[in-house]
Amino acid sequence: MDWAQRLRHTAMLGMGAAAALVLALGGWLQGGADADVAARQREREAVLLTNAVAASLAGADTEAAGVRLAAWRAARPAIESVIVVVGRELVGSTNAADAAPRALRRDEKPLFDLVGALRAAGETNAAEGVTRKRTIEVADKAGVVTVSVPYRVDGRVEGIVQLRLKAPRAAARGGAADTLALAVLAAALGIGALLKVDPTRRFDAGRVLALVALLALVGGHQLQRLGATRQALAASDAAIAQVQADAAALVAKVGGAAPGGAVSAWDTDGFGRPLGLVSAAGEPLAARGAAAPDLRTRFIERGLWAIDALGLGVLLFFVQGGAARTAAALREHADAYGYVAPAMIGMLVLVFFPFLYGIALSFTDTTLFNEATPFGERWIGFDNFVRILGDLDIVKHGAEGTVVNYQNFYWTLMVTVIWTITNVSVGVSFGFVLALALNTDGLRGRPIYRVLLILPWAIPNYITALVWRGMFHPQFGVINQVLQMFGFKPVAWFDGVVSAFMTGLVTNGWLSFPFMMVVILGALQSIPRDMYEAAEVEGATRWQQLRRITLPLLRPTLVPAVVLSVVWTFNMFNIIFLVSGGEPAGANEILITKAYKIAFEQYQYAYAAAYSTVIFAILLVYGYFQTRLTRATESY
Amino acid sequence: MERPNRNHWGIHLGLIVFTLLAIYPVLWVLALAFSGQQSVGLIDLPKDPSFLERARGVLPWPAHPSLKNFVDVMSEQPFGRWLVNSVIVSLLTTLLGVFLACTAAYAFSRFRFPGRGAGMLAFLVSQMFPGTLMLIPLFIIIVKWLGLGNTYAGLVIVYATTAIPFCVWMLKGYFDTIPIDIEESAVIDGASRQTIFIRIILPLAKPAIAITALFSFMTAWNEFILASVFLEAESMYTAPVGLRFFVGGFSSQWGFFAAGSVIVSLPVVVLFLYLQKYLISGLTAGSVK
Repeated sequence: MDWAQRLRHTAMLGMGAAAALVLALGGWLQGGADADVAARQREREAVLLTNAVAASLAGADTEAAGVRLAAWRAARPAIESVIVVVGRELVGSTNAADAAPRALRRDEKPLFDLVGALRAAGETNAAEGVTRKRTIEVADKAGVVTVSVPYRVDGRVEGIVQLRLKAPRAAARGGAADTLALAVLAAALGIGALLKVDPTRRFDAGRVLALVALLALVGGHQLQRLGATRQALAASDAAIAQVQADAAALVAKVGGAAPGGAVSAWDTDGFGRPLGLVSAAGEPLAARGAAAPDLRTRFIERGLWAIDALGLGVLLFFVQGGAARTAAALREHADAYGYVAPAMIGMLVLVFFPFLYGIALSFTDTTLFNEATPFGERWIGFDNFVRILGDLDIVKHGAEGTVVNYQNFYWTLMVTVIWTITNVSVGVSFGFVLALALNTDGLRGRPIYRVLLILPWAIPNYITALVWRGMFHPQFGVINQVLQMFGFKPVAWFDGVVSAFMTGLVTNGWLSFPFMMVVILGALQSIPRDMYEAAEVEGATRWQQLRRITLPLLRPTLVPAVVLSVVWTFNMFNIIFLVSGGEPAGANEILITKAYKIAFEQYQYAYAAAYSTVIFAILLVYGYFQTRLTRATESY
Repeated sequence: MERPNRNHWGIHLGLIVFTLLAIYPVLWVLALAFSGQQSVGLIDLPKDPSFLERARGVLPWPAHPSLKNFVDVMSEQPFGRWLVNSVIVSLLTTLLGVFLACTAAYAFSRFRFPGRGAGMLAFLVSQMFPGTLMLIPLFIIIVKWLGLGNTYAGLVIVYATTAIPFCVWMLKGYFDTIPIDIEESAVIDGASRQTIFIRIILPLAKPAIAITALFSFMTAWNEFILASVFLEAESMYTAPVGLRFFVGGFSSQWGFFAAGSVIVSLPVVVLFLYLQKYLISGLTAGSVK
């Protein structure tokens, strides 16, 4: 009896492994959440204070600014220093040694660069009307949080206010929690050692007891930790509210722009947008204040449930003998697994994990702005899918008449379907006619034709797309030259919905007919000559030969080729993206280019992920029906 | 068919016209590349051009043939650097991709182990994942988490893994055709698995490995979307991203684009024409399963 056999049916090992796994994963999840809470509190406090300082400087000249900065420093000892930089000038500083105001020194170049960067970011945001550049710079290093916010004079960004806040990291509060976790683990091992599992049966009291004991042990431990996290969250919100209240009082005292509005304008994210968790007067806002901690811990709760389920699975795996079998298989086939491992690991990390992560992402509201927040806070369930699939307002009847909403999913879907059908039809018909022509008996120069006609397929398709973009150029493009040659008016190809669609169709038709031609030609050449001879003897016309012999015999080759080319065309990103770019106004976007633009031009990562998930679902359904259809035609 | 030696002038006429239309864009790029100028029109047309003048503008022959665009794109523009980037990325991808594909394909072909069927099926299924669904997570993983944006490594590992399934299926098919007796006699002679794999199987599978290598190379050489998402620094662009840079958005340096396109396409087109029959059989075989 070797060690693999011994693994079988030991409740102790199973309990130990399961408990260790659950404790490790749960500890990691909760530890991460606790660290997030602490880190965010530090950052929020620093950002809030810096924003408040910047607000208090409004309308102050250099001298008054210096006085106000000193007042801040005196009121909150945790503030290590505050400096104000405008252009290449250090306007104010709480450090007496800085002797402000003075010009920046050479070694202070980073400050000058920061002013430029934040000013550029602010101007970009203002010009584009979209907030996509960070205007607040936060660095958390060595127990000091450094925050730089824009310093505005009459609403224009003129410089920065930089504040350094001493915020020593709380010592890792691992001690007690770790001891408790170890105790739970020891208890699990101890109970496991006492439980007897009957190897001859699939189900017995020992197994049930093991499951119950495991659940009770780790569950109790998790509940206790979860309570601690809730308390920390509440404490964090209360602390921020207190800072807001103090800051508001101080601004009222030293002067400057008093906080207005219901929501604190100082408690912001990195883009200067209020978080809406604290009122201007410094009270936690009831609307979100009460719900937010709940929302934040709900994800941890769900995560813990999943981890518990995983732990039970591991326990079952051990007591039902799965572990023993796996160990035996691993040892027996060590060679094989060794050879597969590199590719498998690569696929797991860079194909399967991203795929699952993408699907998980589609259930969140992740954008460029909140991607740093904990995953659980971004979880919104099926909202993205409801937004995509539930928006049925394709046509809008407004004051300016009837307008099609080109951003609507169903419009894009319709364009994609038309795009796929027309392209595949064009490819198949041209391919078929050319293949028939090339298959003529005794045709001279066939290899030359073949090579020349295959060229469009050989050229990288992004180059093809850009070349056609050039040929469709409205002013100097060759195609409009030819039209004008014959007395037609030039066409503004990318301005009309239909004409822009045609540009894509022509380009894709051009690069896809060679594939069909080659495939069909190969199939034609494999049809035995004597079948046609027999048909001719019987008196069949050319048309009858085509209908009754050629087409049926082509079917086995043609069906897979069409299936393949449907998927290719459906996903033909490069042509749409590079030729028309979905112009005009996104009307010619296909699903896949639309998803790309949502992700990388509008930075709505989660919405784009949901979009892609829908595309995947459509392809799955297509694949399912296509397999059934192919089977049906095979039996025909 | 009743007269095997009859004249096919009708068919020839149709084929010639269509072939000319089909290769016109190719000729157009060539003409632009050798034109020595940057505009998208082949010649400067007068204000009210006549029919013949317009016809001259359409004819794919440069007004003043010169090599200026080729010289300039390599010397004045960073295109040489982008080509080098593309070559490095493609070669590394080929090396890594072939290594991963060979070992896995060998295991799938020669060993019977639990999980073999599931593994091969998983490889096949992964081919259905749509590109954009992978794009966002890959961007987050490679650029945001691993910090491999603007590096060769980021592109190489992604290209190599995305090429794995196709390569594995193709190589496995080839390994299957190598008789197992050879290995058995080697085992009797006392050779280890490694020795058999390296000394016997790999040399025998050279043709298939060559095709796999070329496929990996062309995947990386022609890839545009991932590269444009991963690479922000101009000095790290690969050739496809660089070519788009010439004519995308508001810039229109069509001469540079055309010359660059010719340089980039030439090796792939030659390879493709040489290898087309293998690729075609591989593609259609993949779709039937």
